[in-house]
Amino acid sequence: MRRKTGTAYGFLSPYLLVFAIFWIWPIFYSFWLSFLNTRQPPYTFRPDMTWGRLFQDAAFLNAMKNTFIVLLVQVPLMIALATLMAVLLNSRLLKARGLMRFAFFAPVVVGEVAYAAVFRLMFTAERGVVNKTLESIGLPQVDWFSNPTAAMAVLMMAVTWRWAGYNAILILSGLQSIPDDVYEAATLDRVSPVRQFFHITLPLLKPVILFCIILSIIGTMQLFSEPFLITNRGGPAGATETLGLFLYRQGFTSLNFGYASAIAYTIAAIAVAIAGLNLLFGREKA
Amino acid sequence: MNMRIACAPLAICMAMSGNQSLAQDLTGEIKIWSWNVAASAMETVGAEFMAANPGVKVVVEDLGNQGVYDRMLAGCAAGGNDLPDLMTVENHEAEIFWTQFPSCFADLNELGYTPEMQAIFPEFKRVELESNGASYAMPWDSGPVVMFYRRDIYAAGGVDPATIVTWADFIAAGARIQAASPGVTMSQADLNGDTDWFRMIANEQGCGYFSADGQSININAPGCVAALDALRSLYDAGLLRSASWDEKIQSNNASTVATQMFGGWYEGSIRTTSPEEQSGLWGMYLMPSVTADGGRAANLGGSSLAMSGSSDNKEAAFAFLKFALATDKGQITMLRDYGLVPSLLSSANDPFTAEGQPFWGDQPVWQLVLGTLPAIKPSHGTPYFGDADAVFRAVQLSYLNGGYPDAKAALDDAAQQIELVTGLPLAQ
Repeated sequence: MRRKTGTAYGFLSPYLLVFAIFWIWPIFYSFWLSFLNTRQPPYTFRPDMTWGRLFQDAAFLNAMKNTFIVLLVQVPLMIALATLMAVLLNSRLLKARGLMRFAFFAPVVVGEVAYAAVFRLMFTAERGVVNKTLESIGLPQVDWFSNPTAAMAVLMMAVTWRWAGYNAILILSGLQSIPDDVYEAATLDRVSPVRQFFHITLPLLKPVILFCIILSIIGTMQLFSEPFLITNRGGPAGATETLGLFLYRQGFTSLNFGYASAIAYTIAAIAVAIAGLNLLFGREKA
Repeated sequence: MNMRIACAPLAICMAMSGNQSLAQDLTGEIKIWSWNVAASAMETVGAEFMAANPGVKVVVEDLGNQGVYDRMLAGCAAGGNDLPDLMTVENHEAEIFWTQFPSCFADLNELGYTPEMQAIFPEFKRVELESNGASYAMPWDSGPVVMFYRRDIYAAGGVDPATIVTWADFIAAGARIQAASPGVTMSQADLNGDTDWFRMIANEQGCGYFSADGQSININAPGCVAALDALRSLYDAGLLRSASWDEKIQSNNASTVATQMFGGWYEGSIRTTSPEEQSGLWGMYLMPSVTADGGRAANLGGSSLAMSGSSDNKEAAFAFLKFALATDKGQITMLRDYGLVPSLLSSANDPFTAEGQPFWGDQPVWQLVLGTLPAIKPSHGTPYFGDADAVFRAVQLSYLNGGYPDAKAALDDAAQQIELVTGLPLAQ
């Protein structure tokens, strides 16, 4: 038995070696780095410059606030929209369903840089199609990238456009797993379609929706490309700077690896806390 | 120390041997990283250098501004791997490289960059390139700040730019200009995305984010408070509207802005992007000051060339640096063809700078721009420029929106935030 185990580890060793060098070592090393002042060599032990700075740092708190705004506003909106889209896609009245489903899923296939560039062009102040449209229907133009609220709105619209369809397809698979006879029985009992949706569809979809929410939360914690590319590195003046972008700025623009490591551990801790909450939800249900 | 004394005579000999040594059997390839118009300028000068030194091949790679920064960072972090011989660095973000990776770069002093040679460049360009007795880069272009104005719009408001000496004069003139030409804004600043107006006026007032030695935080000193006060008065008077880089160019073209303040390199942007009928309508004048007898010179932007420590062709690369940056010929070529403003002090005396420029209403604008070079005060970017700038960008926006009672309070808060971020002490 023991010999067998040894052989198995022997076969695993090339992978384990790579895993140790590129995963385990960086995890420990960055933890050690997070206590060092890395502003200039030689690095010194100064946790007050990293962990001590974290919750006094207005820019970090701003990035955290922005990330939570996206979590609390964009994620629920997107999931609601995705659920609605899934129900419509599941409708028997819909023609060319396969094409429709692909069309809603397609944004995920588009490269991030390409779609970011298109969004930036669409919302450009004077020549963008959005402002031209607003103007043509008599509404005032919006300075999308200089107004902090408007910039955040653009960011949320872009992320929603890209991921709502993806979530809709996931929810659609959940919808299709609900047996038809449940609805037939409800229809026989003269339950209106709206009540059917709220009392049958939604409760049975709960696990899928919860899964979509968790995926979206993880995605939001990592949100980087959109604020980097669309709102020009979290502009205006940090109004759309997310935790991911802040981490990048500290690590690779300021070359402050110690502080960046502390931020990375904090983001990971927040993600773990959210995963814990998820576990709690799951238990309640059981 | 002894080493340096011993090397000095040799270095002086090398420098004095001049052009004759240039042509002497230099061989190999010099690879240069740069971006946009600067890369094109390097190609032009590189072709001239190759003609004089047939054994040398100059290869310029245009990676874009961010691309050069990112790949330099990656190369230096990897111990100097995969770096070219010469790299373009912007002065204000240069020190972060020398501080984190001193061994990634060649010390030009060891190659013949003597104190005499250093003195042909102004101090404000060198302060960020020299550290611990080493010189890591040679100054290239600079950004002496001037006002770019529309002659026709000023005339319509009855304003003679020669009468604008202080920011108060500028505000009075702006009110007249905006009244005479509805729809026109006196000037524009990127208040949401940049801090350049504050940095230009602060530099003019001898103030910057950090002290002259780069060892303490100076942003709440009187010169900076005066600069932020001036910015606020312009903003409150409705003479300074928020606009990004692209929006400024659109306004220039649409004749809806009367003045832009920028480094001298903005000349090329105006000249090449404006419609033809604007030729002759633009002019330049010195930036106003806070007081009538105050300084009227500042710098914004500008780059330098650094040599990688891993270059296996240092001699030829240094010969190229001297050819391109330390001679009037090289610098004036880049000024004439690409609008890159030389840092080299002697280039202000070149006959070309005295020529009137047709686009600028036959004004000899380069004389005006280069004339301010000796008066520009050094401003230490330090390795913490990016951190300080990010802090101040948010404070500036908040202050303009009424977030602080006065400029001093705003800058005190900025100073404290920068202290937290950098660990540097506040200047006394």
